[in-house]
Amino acid sequence: DSVILQLLSSDDPNSGITSQHLESFAKDGLRTLCVASRVILSDEYNSWIEIYRQAATAINNRAELVAEAAEKIEKNLHLLGATGIEDKLQDQVPESISMLHKAGIKIWVLTGDKKETAVNIGYSCKLLSDQLLNLTLDEDSLEDTRRQLQDHCSSFGESLRKDNLASLVIEGKTLKFALAPPCRQDFLDLAISCKSVICCRVSPKQKAEVVELVKRSTDAITLAIGDGANDVGMIQTAHVGVGIMGREGVQAACASDYSIGQFRFLTKLLFVHGVWSYRRLCKVLLYSFYKNICLYVMELWFAVHNGFSGQILFERWTIATYNVLFTAAPPMALGLLDRCCSAETMMRFPALYKMSQNKSDFNIKIFWTWCLNAVYHSIILYFMSYAMLRHGNMAYTAGLESDAWTLLTHISIWGSIASWFLFLIIYSNFWPTIPLAPEMRGMAKYVFSSMYFWFGLILIPFTALMADVIYNCLQRTLYKTLMQEVQEKELANQDPYDLVMARQTSTVSRVAERLALLKSVFVRTRTPKMSGIVAGPYHGFAFSQEEDGVVPQNQLIRNYDTNIVKPPGL
Amino acid sequence: MSTPENTDDREQPKSKKPADTAFKQQRLPAWQPILTANTALPVFLIIGLTFIPIGIVLVVTSNRVLEYDIDYTDTKCININNNNNQTCADYLKDNPVPTTPCTCKINFTLTSDFDGDVYFYYGLINYYQNHRRYVKSRDDNQLLGKSGSAATDCEPFQKINGTDIAPCGAIANSLFNDTLTLVYSGQTVPLQNTSIAWSTDKNVKFQNPSDPDPYFRNHAKPPNWNKTAWQLDPTHEDNNGFENEDFIVWMRTAAMPTFRKLYRKLLTTSEPFTKGLPSGTYELTIVYQYPVINFAGRKQFIISTTSWMGGKNPFLGWAYIVVGIVCVIVFAVFFILHRFWKMYVLAY
Repeated sequence: DSVILQLLSSDDPNSGITSQHLESFAKDGLRTLCVASRVILSDEYNSWIEIYRQAATAINNRAELVAEAAEKIEKNLHLLGATGIEDKLQDQVPESISMLHKAGIKIWVLTGDKKETAVNIGYSCKLLSDQLLNLTLDEDSLEDTRRQLQDHCSSFGESLRKDNLASLVIEGKTLKFALAPPCRQDFLDLAISCKSVICCRVSPKQKAEVVELVKRSTDAITLAIGDGANDVGMIQTAHVGVGIMGREGVQAACASDYSIGQFRFLTKLLFVHGVWSYRRLCKVLLYSFYKNICLYVMELWFAVHNGFSGQILFERWTIATYNVLFTAAPPMALGLLDRCCSAETMMRFPALYKMSQNKSDFNIKIFWTWCLNAVYHSIILYFMSYAMLRHGNMAYTAGLESDAWTLLTHISIWGSIASWFLFLIIYSNFWPTIPLAPEMRGMAKYVFSSMYFWFGLILIPFTALMADVIYNCLQRTLYKTLMQEVQEKELANQDPYDLVMARQTSTVSRVAERLALLKSVFVRTRTPKMSGIVAGPYHGFAFSQEEDGVVPQNQLIRNYDTNIVKPPGL
Repeated sequence: MSTPENTDDREQPKSKKPADTAFKQQRLPAWQPILTANTALPVFLIIGLTFIPIGIVLVVTSNRVLEYDIDYTDTKCININNNNNQTCADYLKDNPVPTTPCTCKINFTLTSDFDGDVYFYYGLINYYQNHRRYVKSRDDNQLLGKSGSAATDCEPFQKINGTDIAPCGAIANSLFNDTLTLVYSGQTVPLQNTSIAWSTDKNVKFQNPSDPDPYFRNHAKPPNWNKTAWQLDPTHEDNNGFENEDFIVWMRTAAMPTFRKLYRKLLTTSEPFTKGLPSGTYELTIVYQYPVINFAGRKQFIISTTSWMGGKNPFLGWAYIVVGIVCVIVFAVFFILHRFWKMYVLAY
């Protein structure tokens, strides 16, 4: 509407009243459009069409020439009317958004709607609320934008770029200046200091630019979700693009990495599948490195004893099939089926999501720990077998060699906490008694009949695993992580609710909430430059309790001591 | 990413929802081994208490295995054929291909009876039968009795003057050829030289060609041998040629540079050896033909009984005991930790 209103003829009688109506539509959360028209006489049209054709076939600056030509004819329009469309929020969008907030995910809304529409939607989604310090950026020029940005930034002071209970609303025209190089850093700092950011009147290109800015300047992972063709740019720019297949067509879904049916499914995608997928991937990666390092370092120890002549310890074919047959099952099981907590728990406690956000499962330290562990296991496996067979009885040596890698699978399955099935246990005991190579002939018979072999089989994996098991136990007893506590409660069929709630609202955030409220009482924020609009306070009714407020209702009631005698007169 | 398909207008579009089975919806029942102190404590205790007795049993079993070995590489083995007190090792160094082989006798005493099955081994130390090029140097097809030229893997022991060597290869060429015999109070100890190789080797992997006599005459013997393969045991045809058990035992390469190979078994058919080797003084006669000192190797003669576990090897038993003790210690530590940590947590 802002565009159309500027193109109207100056004496249009309806433009004033229509603007007012549009504002009230927007306040109600409707999406507004204006419709205007003009009758063009044929002379005017003919002279214009020439200019337009030239512009359309120009070699240089075609887009600008076409825009110029369009401007020439689009003026003095006659306003026909305005439309307001109720674009209902999907089911459970507010709940989903609050869950995402609880998981520590910052949410930005990039929309093409008017500011009032967007702010209204923001309040209904709980992106904005009265607990948050609401900041606005709505200046018209580069200088003013810069000044406003610097004012806001300095008002944060120390807590810039940290988690604050603030929100930011920025207009499309101001965004243009804010993304320009002089203001960009300040804008970014301000934006990431806020819990949620709403950008209104954004063009598709600006959506992509904003995502690009965040991606480049912070080390956060960005996810963009949208449902229309105008979201395709940002979906493709972000690290993860999610498209909602819906009424606006499938273009967003086609351009995205993941497509879902409704917005609320995003939470399940992230909290359940995202976390599971992350943990599984990490485990598969680490396990793959571990098993190969373990096996081939054993060859290294053998080289010490065969004069470094290059003779291999494990028979040729079995080494080749090692990766394919014998140790394929654990990564598959880990990768497909591993679950740390059940789906219901993950959905109930978004706080668990934080565990996958901070590189807790795969980082340099963990990687090298696994590698060292693999070397340690290979030492145990090899040298214990060596010590047992010092007299060099070939049968037993070969037997233990061929047996070592199934020990490996055993070890690694036991060494990781995963969900697995009986058939895997049987599978990992699968014996390579296929006599592919001459030297293996008869191996099975002699190996199985050797008591050394069986006793060694029991002892050696246990020894190798002992250190891991002890470490795990210690860690669980002394440094238990939230995820592990939740797991245990789940298994005991108890409700992990108290656990998670206790951890979630730390004292720091509670104090911060109170400070923000105090500040909004004493500090006068600049009111937006909108004439004729009364920004209604969205407080709700006086006697109702705020949800998720600082003091929950049940606690309030409990604190009230009914034994105290009421003062007379009440 | 899925695109809507064009379906028949007459039918309902098929639902693309995946089936609601437990497998596809990731609802499979799971077992999660949670290693807390509570669950791990009993496990450690049980394992500790199981391993220690097992270890003790294994150590005792191993200690009951009697073993006696003699290192006869140099000083113990003095040539009896010459009167110059030269060791057989030096004799072999001076005469690499002697006309009369060096013989020596060593006296030793067994302090206790070796009851049951008694096995005699020759042991080699610092002998790398596991060297890659050595292990490669054999021709299994030839050993199966198949006709055809010797494999190139046998280089440089494939041909001599254009004639194929049988058996070819470095492993065959380096066949152990010392002869060791025992005498007990004037009586030769009866030793059996069959049933010492793996039955699968003897029956499957090593077969003489269909006409061994002309075969071995037409093929060259390995350069370091002083007789052909067909002369290894002429009196017993099923222990001759490629099927000679000493040869088969040698061809099964050892994994480590210190190894022993089964040489003979005690025949318990005649007195006084029906129950085993009686204690007393024995005389070991060695025909010393195998040179080892030029690569700092050593040779041994080993007499050993067995147990249900096998030969003498206390390592496994001690390993079990050590691991068992560690488990019990870990149990104790965890137990204390668990109690105190709980108290610590409760106090705060």
